[in-house]
Amino acid sequence: MRTLRRTALLTSIVALAAAPLAGCGDDEPTSGEGGTTATNVTLKVSAATSLKTAMEDFGGGFTAARSSFSFAGSDELAAQIRQGVRPDVYAAASTKLPDALHAEGLLEEPVEFATNSLIVAVPAKGSKVATFDDLGDAGVKLAIGSDTVPVGSYTRTVLGRLPDATRKAIEGNVRSEEPNVSGVVGKLTQGAVDAGFVYASDVHAAGDALRVVDIPDELEPTVRYGAAVVKDAPHPEQARAFLDALKGPDGQFALQAAGLGPKP
Amino acid sequence: MTGATPVDQDDRGLSVTARHRLRDVALDVALDVAPGACLALVGPSGAGKSTVLRIVAGLLRPDEGVVRCAGETWVARDRGVAVPPEARSCGYLFQDHALFPHLSAWRNVAYGLRDVPRRERRDLAITTLERFGVGRLADAHPDRLSGGERQRVALARAVVRRPRVLLLDEPLSALDATTRGRATRELADVLREHDVPALLVTHDFVEAATLATTVAIIDRGRIVQRGAATAIAASPATAFIAEMSGAVVLTGTAAPADHGLTRIDLDGGGVLLSTDAGRGPVAVSVHPWEITLHAVDGSGGGGVAGVEGGPGVEGRSGGSVVGDGPGGGGGPAAGSARNALPATVTSLTTVGNRMRVGLLAGQPLTAEVTVDAVGRLGLAVGAPVTAAWKASATRVVSAGDPGVD
Amino acid sequence: MSAGATARRAAFVAALVVALTVVVAFLTFPVVAIFVRSSPGALLDGLRDPSAQDALRLSLVCTSIAAAIIVVVGTPAAWLLATRRFRGRSVVITLVELPLVMPPAVAGIGLLAAFGPQGIVGRPLGDLGLQPVLTTAGVVTALVFVAAPFYLRQAQAAFEAVDRRWLDASRTLGAGELRTWLRVAIPVARGGLITGLALAWGRALGEFGATLMFAGSFRDITQTAPLAIYERFATDFDGALGLSAVLVSLSAAVLLTVRIVGRGAVVGGVRG
Repeated sequence: MRTLRRTALLTSIVALAAAPLAGCGDDEPTSGEGGTTATNVTLKVSAATSLKTAMEDFGGGFTAARSSFSFAGSDELAAQIRQGVRPDVYAAASTKLPDALHAEGLLEEPVEFATNSLIVAVPAKGSKVATFDDLGDAGVKLAIGSDTVPVGSYTRTVLGRLPDATRKAIEGNVRSEEPNVSGVVGKLTQGAVDAGFVYASDVHAAGDALRVVDIPDELEPTVRYGAAVVKDAPHPEQARAFLDALKGPDGQFALQAAGLGPKP
Repeated sequence: MTGATPVDQDDRGLSVTARHRLRDVALDVALDVAPGACLALVGPSGAGKSTVLRIVAGLLRPDEGVVRCAGETWVARDRGVAVPPEARSCGYLFQDHALFPHLSAWRNVAYGLRDVPRRERRDLAITTLERFGVGRLADAHPDRLSGGERQRVALARAVVRRPRVLLLDEPLSALDATTRGRATRELADVLREHDVPALLVTHDFVEAATLATTVAIIDRGRIVQRGAATAIAASPATAFIAEMSGAVVLTGTAAPADHGLTRIDLDGGGVLLSTDAGRGPVAVSVHPWEITLHAVDGSGGGGVAGVEGGPGVEGRSGGSVVGDGPGGGGGPAAGSARNALPATVTSLTTVGNRMRVGLLAGQPLTAEVTVDAVGRLGLAVGAPVTAAWKASATRVVSAGDPGVD
Repeated sequence: MSAGATARRAAFVAALVVALTVVVAFLTFPVVAIFVRSSPGALLDGLRDPSAQDALRLSLVCTSIAAAIIVVVGTPAAWLLATRRFRGRSVVITLVELPLVMPPAVAGIGLLAAFGPQGIVGRPLGDLGLQPVLTTAGVVTALVFVAAPFYLRQAQAAFEAVDRRWLDASRTLGAGELRTWLRVAIPVARGGLITGLALAWGRALGEFGATLMFAGSFRDITQTAPLAIYERFATDFDGALGLSAVLVSLSAAVLLTVRIVGRGAVVGGVRG
């Protein structure tokens, strides 16, 4: 009985440990890459979390290569590239990071392919926050992105444009600085906070759970998404084709369907 | 904890009746032990003898029963009485001693001295250790002590609280042969000094005979014979008890013979005579020290009774405690009849200044002779000998059930 | 025959040595790399950074509180599991061990579902003003959840190894059950208990996913050292290395202490 239980436990541990490994095989580029059998090529795309819906939609229709996505905070993906990870494409939720990596010689010339708008999201039902002005009220709990991720730095840009007292009141209500957008969205959908600064596309992705509270136009930052082919990418040709298609009608349609704005 | 009111002598005794369902046996015992007396429970492992100690100590609650000691009722299942072990004051000497491994010797002894002022505990513990000759080991941890030293520390721990009953569980089994003699004397001293009832559990009849005033043979949860050790050894009620008491047990078929003797045809060959009566399938017992060994000469191999004399070597005529039983009183005429079996030596084991000689004479048997005698006879494994003993030392017992173990 | 056997034996021993070498190399390499890549200067800078100090202090406070809760509640629970046989015992043991094999994300989701603002227990807690999400209490909750099984398992094994006769002896020497437990069972099982505590503490110190999901990340309130490392990972790799080096040193110090303390223990801990 005891032995059985132990064995079962061990088996589950092994299974859990092996699960992530199982996914690895797909990424292997198929040999015999002559440029003609393009669909045998698997393109690795590192994309910002906020691009998840749009990219998966677009990737399914992109025929020049199979695409495999790695979604995380833009900054995190940038750090991986700095540590030597070589995806084919890097798509960030800002232009700052691609520009910086380009300057460091890690990316080819970046292109801007989409825009987004920063908004305040609140739970659809029973939030204490009705307008932007409520954010500084006592007892309101906020989640924002940490200042290392684009959503966090845009948020700070917005706050920086406010009068000092208002800014301090809002900052004082922050309960969590999440390392990526999905952290902020998760805290919102779980009702852990009353409001959070996220992208319009995130509210779109969350379905009916969240409601948008607009940020006054004069505070609204420009959120532009930049992408580039990674230097020494395994499949630069397909990567360039991917970016072109992303700026083309198919890509733009997918991005807008996911709640993002058109390329600038 | 000693009662302030003077109590009647009988009241300080221990009285136990208990029934308890164990895994494979049903324990059902009733026993009384007077203050200053020691009752030994002798039996094979699994017979339930340690269970009796656990019931007395309160470590096990019997299904049914009553335990009374020192004028108090410790257990009365029908009245819902069950005094917890910590309130009973039992001096329990555990098998393998069970010294606390994380405490030094003196702290082991002082562990139970919560009623003694803190300042005096160490002194009292060390005084007690000194009485057992291990005062110098007061600061040693159990893993640094030899078996004999542990035994003494455990004894000190068990008696330092002046318990109202002593419970000794196989107290000598963890000791080697040389330490055992001394430990036995120390235990005997302790039992004499403490005027409380004592229960001793052992599978060794000699140990029981040495330490106890009364022996109770326990088998499969029941006491099958009780009495003085000498009386049990002399007339074991069953073959199982005979074997328990250390006697050689042979099986065969009995039939009446001349001169009021009984003739036993042994299974596996050979014939014996006994002064006891018997008929049909029986077991025959004889104590190893009753058997003498004789060198085999040309004609000495006949397996019949009546072989007299020869260059015999007398075995020990009786142990210091057992053996002087009424076995010699089998009748003047018949008492001189002797048995002789041809045998082969199968083993030689030194026990103190004596030698246990394993023999095969159709059935295995054991003789106990002096080391000196072994030399004189030139005994060695494989050597042929004649084993001889008196018909009057040959007990015919009911074949019964040889018991477990 | 003997030549073949000798050769086989030598090959077997060689294989064992190779296996151990691979294991040691693989397991120590990342640790060594942390120290190789972070210069002592950077390490000190990392420590001087006030937000890193806050994170370290918060980590130490939260892991200490979590460890205290685990010990106070877990020790008697483990004793019961180790010494009593009752119906459903193996089910209870399996349930208690389950968080061991739970991915931190699952732990985080589960904690939210149970203690979150919309959780089964969390909602009434919130009405009482005791909602733990995004608070330091939430960090402690997450740490206790993921780390307690490490201690419970180890403590149970240590208690099971305590010889019954010592407990019996204690009882006959006038000590009740509680005193026997405190004065015999716990000291005798000390080695295993300390090992379990160290494992639990180490797990709590390194806890990341469940903390982030349940308690969020806010400096001085919920941002523990692993969260601070993660935050630095993107923008300040050297800072992340420095803080990592500090955490590794702390963990190593704890393991070493346990080895030294545990050496005098009577009943050794079962590792794993």
